[in-house]
Amino acid sequence: MILVPVTYRGGIYRHDEIVALIEDLGGYIVQKHVLAQEVVLQCFVPKDDIELIRAIAKPLAGEVTDSPLVGTEIAVVIPSLEIHHLPHPACDIAEYTRRLGAKSNMVGMARGVGKRIAAINDEERDVINEHDIAVYVLGNFEVCIEHKMPILRRGVEVPIVLCGAPDKETLQRIIDPPVDGYVGNVGRFMHRTKESDELAKLDEIIAEITLVLEKKREEIAKDPLSVSPARLMDVIKEQVPAIHEVTSPTPLTVQMAGLRVKLPYDTYAGVLKKTEIEDGITIGDVADIVPSRMRDYILVRILPFSSTNTVI
Amino acid sequence: MTAIEYFEVECTEPLGGEYYKQITIDVLLDHNLLRVIHKLHIFIDPKVPVFVAVGMLKKITSLVRVRDFANVNPLEGKMILVISDETYLAPMLKIFWQRFGKDHVEQPDRFTVILYDVAVDPKEIEEIVVADPSEALYKDLIYAFRCIAPEGFRVRRETYGKEKFSFISSEDTLTGSADALISEKFRLMGETP
Repeated sequence: MILVPVTYRGGIYRHDEIVALIEDLGGYIVQKHVLAQEVVLQCFVPKDDIELIRAIAKPLAGEVTDSPLVGTEIAVVIPSLEIHHLPHPACDIAEYTRRLGAKSNMVGMARGVGKRIAAINDEERDVINEHDIAVYVLGNFEVCIEHKMPILRRGVEVPIVLCGAPDKETLQRIIDPPVDGYVGNVGRFMHRTKESDELAKLDEIIAEITLVLEKKREEIAKDPLSVSPARLMDVIKEQVPAIHEVTSPTPLTVQMAGLRVKLPYDTYAGVLKKTEIEDGITIGDVADIVPSRMRDYILVRILPFSSTNTVI
Repeated sequence: MTAIEYFEVECTEPLGGEYYKQITIDVLLDHNLLRVIHKLHIFIDPKVPVFVAVGMLKKITSLVRVRDFANVNPLEGKMILVISDETYLAPMLKIFWQRFGKDHVEQPDRFTVILYDVAVDPKEIEEIVVADPSEALYKDLIYAFRCIAPEGFRVRRETYGKEKFSFISSEDTLTGSADALISEKFRLMGETP
């Protein structure tokens, strides 16, 4: 069964029927937002059943759209959290990816500013590496990007999409070794992105992120994960009641090959390890449970089939 | 759009220069500063790296006096001030307290201040200078240019006179050539530094 990420948008009236349907079909709901009279469900559903969900949602005026970013966690990396980058363009990009289903985090560096003085520290590097992809939002000058990018990417192992004011070809030329994606003509600016050409640029960033994530998905498919992250999320929701006490918007953040559990590591790592998924197989058997560099959260890294010899 | 008579952004990278032109307009508009700038020349060289902004200012509104926002009504033994704009109320009260003492100053409500037993001519009270907006303007202007300048450029020097200002910033120590650069940019605008 191939699960595809989609977003369901509809009225709150009878939306529980859709929720039940998705669960019955073997799909998973990653995030649910209730905004006044509207419900937005970000979910994984079986590819063959999308039409069925569409048909059932039609009388409820609900619509199902593809959301390639559902189930991914994106780091938007900016040189600092100062007014120079916030709220535009960094928040605009982070918010746009969020609308399409991703969970985006902003990583503002302590000393990422300038050309000669730019630097990255180990905490920032580790936090970036906990994500599925890093979107670097840099500035307006070719010289600066060329000079500081090798420093800012030091030790970063996740795919990188680079945004900057020079055009795409220039970015490709100056970055060595190449990164995974480039979006030109998005540098530093100080106004809200609301003109159509600016929104088109945001779409271009999303397209580039999607492309890079597709490549990563293909890589993962070659050696499939022992358990799907969305399923693991459901298991934890059922068997670790403490997760319902967490007030964070996404207590369980689904990633492409893992899960961020927003519970303290010292208290809950052992509990998670022993949690049974099915037939005596525990989470500890199919995943590495490590402390996250983000607060005292837990990071669950699901192991591939090749190292566990099990798929559940 | 702009009320600026002369506005140039000079940059070694043309595309970056265009972006900075837009940033400058956005920031100055946001801070409501376009109305006070008469001429502006910005020079950026990311290779050095250095950011220079030099400009001329329009005539700034004069000092704010008590008469600008309050009516002074002299009565027997007291003076009632009816306030129309609260913006400068706090600095005005501070001046009154200092000059007449707290015993002689009373504020029964937001828009009324009463002075008791003050041996001063009401005209004189009206002429008391409460604030100098150009001081705040200086801070606003420098803050705006800190927003405009590339972020890492934290070594900076600024000068501000009655009608002209300059702002120069870099990541590295500013050397003697900084002054020469500022003078050169003033000359490009057709002004003397």
